[in-house]
Amino acid sequence: MKRLLILEDGSTFLGEGFGSQINSTGEVVLTTAMTGYQKVVTSPTYANQIIVFTTPVLGTYGTNIDDLESLQPVCKGVVCHTYTDSMNVSSPQSFSDYLKNQDIPGIYGIDTRKLVRILSKHNGITKGSIIDAENDLEHAFDQLHATVLTDQLVDMVSTSKPYPNPDTGRNIVLVDYGVKHSVLRQLSRMNCNTIIVPYTATFQEIKNLCPDGVLLSNGPGNPYTLEDSFETIRQIQANYPTFAIGLGHQLLAIANGAKVKELPRAHRGLNFPVIEIATGRIITVAQNHSYIVDESSLPKDNLIVTHKDLNSGWIEGIKHRKYPTFSVQFEPEGAPGPSDGTDVFYDFMHLIDIRKDKINAIRESK
Amino acid sequence: MAKQIYDSMAMKRALTRMTYEIIEKNKGIDDLVLVGIKTRGVYLAQRIADRLKQLENAEVPVGQLDITLYRDDRHDASLAQDPVVNEADLGFDIKDKHVILVDDVLFTGRTIRAALDALMDIGRPKKINLAVLVDRGHRELPIRADFVGKNIPTAMDEQVAVYVDEVDGKDGIELKKL
Repeated sequence: MKRLLILEDGSTFLGEGFGSQINSTGEVVLTTAMTGYQKVVTSPTYANQIIVFTTPVLGTYGTNIDDLESLQPVCKGVVCHTYTDSMNVSSPQSFSDYLKNQDIPGIYGIDTRKLVRILSKHNGITKGSIIDAENDLEHAFDQLHATVLTDQLVDMVSTSKPYPNPDTGRNIVLVDYGVKHSVLRQLSRMNCNTIIVPYTATFQEIKNLCPDGVLLSNGPGNPYTLEDSFETIRQIQANYPTFAIGLGHQLLAIANGAKVKELPRAHRGLNFPVIEIATGRIITVAQNHSYIVDESSLPKDNLIVTHKDLNSGWIEGIKHRKYPTFSVQFEPEGAPGPSDGTDVFYDFMHLIDIRKDKINAIRESK
Repeated sequence: MAKQIYDSMAMKRALTRMTYEIIEKNKGIDDLVLVGIKTRGVYLAQRIADRLKQLENAEVPVGQLDITLYRDDRHDASLAQDPVVNEADLGFDIKDKHVILVDDVLFTGRTIRAALDALMDIGRPKKINLAVLVDRGHRELPIRADFVGKNIPTAMDEQVAVYVDEVDGKDGIELKKL
């Protein structure tokens, strides 16, 4: 079935539909991810976005149960150059069938290189819609221009009630701004008994769960829409080893006096080189962010830069000067993506263990 | 039989974490000096100093203490002898400085005691902290480390071997059964 991708600047792209055949509107973003389309599409960080893949072919290995980053994907569409309908033994569903069941429209057979050039030229948000080719175009553009995209994205993806991811090791409270399952998988790998709490959780609610450490998760959207969280984060970091990822990293930075700005060109892909300042070690990591901590605003008495993007020089990791608190902008879980960054989870565990050892030593000496 | 506890990458990360912790516990690094205990402690101290330089853009002086161990005789009471400081020329003044003493393995605490004595003879530091890559337990003196890379609970008949690239051609931590 012929379908159209239209952008608010008036561009139209005619292509073939796959997945759901509904019409949908969202922010059009591009990712350079070469693999793991199912993980990309199910990542809550892509809330309300129509994802353009620069990699030419999607669908070649179907979908499977291991590659879910959330149970209910919240992206608004998938755009690619070529779609191949296929399944394999470990793949119960084709990608198209999966998208259909999740009410996500896809469109293929369009010149994604041209589309990427248009998107790269734009500053800020580009709205777009996927519609039927037979739809009245004038009406569709009117609707697109009139659509106001919500900025309450975290509210859309965060859990409404606390839930556990039980194990027998360290107690972690994870503040859910839109957590990817792979972050939980990393914690499970280290036997963490994790309790996931809504982004609205108060410090007292977190304290009642007696965490050994607190993780502020990744998530979608603009950190300034979450003003209530800054004071909570200040209380968390003063009391527990704290580790933050993505949106959590931006919130942590703002809570400590830094400013976050929108990027002229978002980073979405799997192969960004990042340098660890202390050692000069360079790792290749997945990134997905359109906001960044502004280095000129960084309060040097509070925060120290630990990681930087090599291409752009932007901040990719910070550490608090006084507390066992640190964060990374990139996606350390690498899902999809390289596993170079997963070490930071071990660092978090180490901070927790060192603190526990000290508390135990004090108890013993009493 | 040797069991690898940390490979090269994990050891480097442990040193990075210790560096962060040193920054955390100190308001600024202005008065900071590092003193490594020969042989491997010196290289570990140098690496921490390198990391501090990258992060804070400031040079932290690194000195060394040469202490002779009688580690192999330690368990035989008749042969037991405390470590002796052979050479204690740091090349800088430690008066009113914040000294961080760096060693590879913290065991009985007697080496550290000898190092502390030597430091106090040289000058009166404002404060002395202890950073060790490995704390293997079995202390015989009331000494503890402020910064620990890794706690490794050990038996008395085990030995912790720390390898540093500069001396051993590789980095890593191994646990050996004697």
